[in-house]
Amino acid sequence: MEKKNPDLDIEKIIQDYRPIINFRVKKAIGQHTPEWEDVVNEIIVNVIEKLQNNEFRGDSSIGTFIYTITSRRIVDYIRKKSKVLKHIPQPNPFPDPYEQVETREKAELMENAIKELKPKYKKVLYLYYYKGLSRKEVAQKMNITPSQVSERVNYAQKLVQKKIKK
Amino acid sequence: MEKCEYEYLIDDYLLNKLDKKEKERFEHHYFNCPSCFEKMRERNELISVVKKRGDAIFQGTEVPEETQRVPWRKKVFAFLTPKQWAAVGASAALILAVVLLVIPQLKTSSPEFFVNKDLVRSKSINLISPVIDIKTIPPQFRWKSLGEDVHYKIYIYNSELLWSAETQENSITLPGEVKEKMSAGEEYSWQVKAFSPEGSLIAVSSKVRFKISPN
Repeated sequence: MEKKNPDLDIEKIIQDYRPIINFRVKKAIGQHTPEWEDVVNEIIVNVIEKLQNNEFRGDSSIGTFIYTITSRRIVDYIRKKSKVLKHIPQPNPFPDPYEQVETREKAELMENAIKELKPKYKKVLYLYYYKGLSRKEVAQKMNITPSQVSERVNYAQKLVQKKIKK
Repeated sequence: MEKCEYEYLIDDYLLNKLDKKEKERFEHHYFNCPSCFEKMRERNELISVVKKRGDAIFQGTEVPEETQRVPWRKKVFAFLTPKQWAAVGASAALILAVVLLVIPQLKTSSPEFFVNKDLVRSKSINLISPVIDIKTIPPQFRWKSLGEDVHYKIYIYNSELLWSAETQENSITLPGEVKEKMSAGEEYSWQVKAFSPEGSLIAVSSKVRFKISPN
């Protein structure tokens, strides 16, 4: 395909944005919906076509441009689905761990890293993510402030990332 | 990596706690912010592992019990049972009644006197002795000084005025002829008035009774 806009490195753009589009689509329509990959591919093809046709004029950022295409396609998909199905597909609360963590091995590393955390960090993760309590509820249970809950979660994540990168 | 102002939305986005508008705003943002997207991706991994492997991860983890912060009012009320609180209330009411009704009556009011037919309440003079029953006729009467340049007038009564005298001291010795008029077994009272150098009445003591015990 001929590249009409010499300033745009379409390959690089797609490489950068594919994970973001993947994430957004899976979050919106659910990663267990078999068509999610098709929807992503359609979006990418659409983005490439528009870029090649010089439809991106730089009025907005490339991120906003791709976000708009992605959002429209997701809305179309849900509309079509809702005509066939009685219920709109429910999105997953968050994409699958093993897909995102990439490998079972990484998930195991993270599991061990969390196990080794100090109790005060582990308890926050347990109450906030595993039990699904609100920040305020976690704060009450642990006699800390809601902002301290966020601080502990952030710090716990840093420690986990540090351990798995060793 | 510099902290982005949208970072605080990551958790709520992943946990589906944002409203539609906030969700769209954040989605638009992370298409333009690689930092937020990367942090969100990492946070998503963490949440996913916690959710999927929580049973194994948190096995044996001691989780704080319902130690919710109790508002101070609840803490105070939980301190006693309702019956005990009722007793506390009754006791408090009784104490209040004593404070409001009885104590004011015990308090000696400032002495009153008339100036040009108007009732005046003045500061008091504290009488030191005699103020209780005594065994012998007191040789001297003493009161608390109100300072220099004040002169005093003392009055001793039985059923009527027995004797009065003036002095600039805060005590006075009873003359022999007055002592002779006093006898054991009788009850007397005394009072002191204070005057400024100009002769204005500035203070009056209470009238204090004393009795000379019979031999």
